[in-house]
Amino acid sequence: MITTVVGSFPKVAEAGFGTTIISAISRWQRKELPDAGLERVFQDITKAVMAEYEKAGLDLLADAQIRWEDLVTPLAKQLDGFEINGLERWCDNNVYYRRPILRKAPARRGPILAEEYRAAKACTSKPMKAVLPGPYTFVQMCEDRYYKNPARFMRKIAELLRDEAAALVEAGAPLVQFDEPALGFGKPPLKGVLEALAIATKGLKVPTALYLYFGHLNGLLSPLQKAPVDLIGVDVVSDPKAMGAVTKTRWTKQLALGCVDARNTKLESVTELHALFDVVTKRVPSDRLSVNPSCGLEFLPYEQAVQKVNRLVEAVQTYKRG
Amino acid sequence: MLLTTSVGSLPKPDYLVKARSQARKGGVDPAELKRLEEQSTRDWVARQEELGLDILVDGEQYRGDMVAYFAEQLDGFKPSRLVRSYGNRYYRKPIIVSKIRRRQPITVDWWRFAQALTTRPVKGMLTGPYTIMDWSFNEYYPSRRATALAVAEIIHGEARDLERAGAQYIQIDEPAISTRLDEIELAIEALGVVTKGLRAKTITHICYGNFQALSPKLNALPVDQIDLEFANRKFELLEAFKHLRLRKEVGLGVVDVHSHRIESREEVVANLKKALKVFKPEQIYVDPDCGLKTRTPEEALGKLRAVVEATRAVREELLN
Ligand SMILES: [Zn+2]
Repeated sequence: MITTVVGSFPKVAEAGFGTTIISAISRWQRKELPDAGLERVFQDITKAVMAEYEKAGLDLLADAQIRWEDLVTPLAKQLDGFEINGLERWCDNNVYYRRPILRKAPARRGPILAEEYRAAKACTSKPMKAVLPGPYTFVQMCEDRYYKNPARFMRKIAELLRDEAAALVEAGAPLVQFDEPALGFGKPPLKGVLEALAIATKGLKVPTALYLYFGHLNGLLSPLQKAPVDLIGVDVVSDPKAMGAVTKTRWTKQLALGCVDARNTKLESVTELHALFDVVTKRVPSDRLSVNPSCGLEFLPYEQAVQKVNRLVEAVQTYKRG
Repeated sequence: MLLTTSVGSLPKPDYLVKARSQARKGGVDPAELKRLEEQSTRDWVARQEELGLDILVDGEQYRGDMVAYFAEQLDGFKPSRLVRSYGNRYYRKPIIVSKIRRRQPITVDWWRFAQALTTRPVKGMLTGPYTIMDWSFNEYYPSRRATALAVAEIIHGEARDLERAGAQYIQIDEPAISTRLDEIELAIEALGVVTKGLRAKTITHICYGNFQALSPKLNALPVDQIDLEFANRKFELLEAFKHLRLRKEVGLGVVDVHSHRIESREEVVANLKKALKVFKPEQIYVDPDCGLKTRTPEEALGKLRAVVEATRAVREELLN
C-alpha cells in the first residue's frame, strides 16, 4: 500500500513559501520579469513542495504543477493549432480555465513537459510520476472548430499525448498517469475513450494509470477494467455511491483510492480512513493498492493541503503497523 | 413598464480602492474608511438619479467578495487563506466551522443610508444560500443540503429585516446555481426558504452558466423576477424563450459588463425590440448583464446611460 498525490498543489502559501508567484506572474506578463526570473520562482516553489512531500513521508510524488494554469492549457498553448480563449468553469468547481479552441490540425513541435519534469525530479530522491490529461478530458475541455468530429479529434490528441508520455518516460518517469475528470460528467462514449487510451499508452515502457475524479462514476468502473492501463484511480469522496461501486467491481487493475477530500478543508480522521482501507483491502490486496487525495490539492489553501497529505501518510503508516 | 435598474455592484473610485487596500494592512482608521465608503455611495446614488434609473442600488462600495462579505459578519465562518480561482487570480474561501448565526442585520444600515438619499426605490442586495454554500468550505454541517438550508434561514432573516426597513425590491444573487444541475432542486428549495412570506418583489440574478440545461427550471425558481445576461451572449438566449414561456418578470441584461466598449443607444434599442417580440413590455426590467464593479467608473456610467436612453426611446415608441 503506497501513498501518492494526484497532481496539483497550492501555488501560494501565506504561512509557508509565500505568495511571490502572484506578483512574479503579473510582472512577467508586463514584461518586467524575464522568463528566467519567473522560472526561478516556479522552481523555488516546486522545491518547497517536494520538501513538504518528503517531510510528510509520501512514497510516490508528482511535480505539483506549479507552472500549470489547469490540466489542459500547458499542453494546448504549446501545441500548434490551438488558440486560448475565454473563461469556462472547470467541471463542477468554482474554478475557471481558459477554453482552448482548435483552429488548425494540432501538431507537437517537441517535448513540452519533459524539462519541467526533470527540474522537479531534481528536487527529490523519491520516485516521481508524470501526469497528463487523458485524451477524452483534453477534447472535452476544448472547442473543436477544425475537425468538427470529436472521435477524430480525440484520436489525434491521443497520438500527441503518447508522444509526450514517451518523452516523459525518457526523462525518467516510472509511471505515466492520465487524468480523466471529464468521464464523471454526461455520457462518455466508452468505446472511443478506450480506443483513445490504447493509442495514448501504446508502446510506453512503464506502467500507466487512469485517474477518475469529480462527478459520478456512472457505472464506468467495470468496463474500465478492460482499459489498457495498469492502475485506475477512483475519487470515492465526490460521488456518494463510489465506494459501493469500488466494492462491487471485480478488480483486474491496481487501485488508487482517492479517499481524502481534496476539495474540502475538513480533515478526515485516521479511524475513518482505516475503516475505508478495511473495506477496500477485501477486494484489492494491499500490494495492489495506492491511496491519495480525491483530486489535485490546489482546491485547498496551503495549510490544509499539507494537513491532508500528512493525515494520509499517518493513516497508511498506522494501518500497516496494524 | 420597462423599468431600468442595475445588477448591484458599481465600480469603486480610486480613493476608495486605495483606502481599502491600506485598511487591510491597518493603515487606515475604520471610521475614515467608512466615511469614504459613504462618500462614494452618496456619489453613486446621485449619479444613478441623474442618469434617470428607476430602481437604484447602493453600489456595494463597502463590499469585496460577494460571499466573503456575508461570511465575515456571520458567526460560524472563519476566514481562510488564499485559493486560486483561475489564471493568476486568488480569493479567500471562507470555512464553516460551527453553527451559522447572524448577530445583527448585515446590509440594513447601508440600505437605509442609501434609501435616505433618494425618493426612488433602492434594492436590497443579498447573496443566495446555494452560492454561499457552494463557495465556502464546510467542516460543520453533515451535508451540502444541511449547509444550504442553514444559510437560507439566515438570509431569510436578513431579507425580512430589509423588508421591515422598507425595501420594496430584494435581490438574491445565485451565480452558482448553474454549476451543478444535479443540485438544482436543492438550490430551489433553499431559495424558497429565503423568499417565503416576503411581500417585497424578489429577484434572483444568475450568470455564467449552462443556461440551456437550467432553462426548464426557471419557472420553478421561487422569485418574482429572474435577471439574466443577454448581451454577452449576443441575445442568443432569446431563442430559448421563444419555446419556453417565462411566467415571471425578466431582468434583461442589455450591456456587456466584461467589455470596455460602451454600447450605442441604437444597438441597445435594436436588442430591446428583439426582446419585446419574446417578452411582454410589463414583464421586462432593463439592466446591465451583471455587476459593473470590474469596469472603470466612466465605463460604468457610459453603459448605464446606454441602458436608460435606449429604454426611454423604446418606451416612447410603445406609448405613441
Ligand atoms: Zn452576474
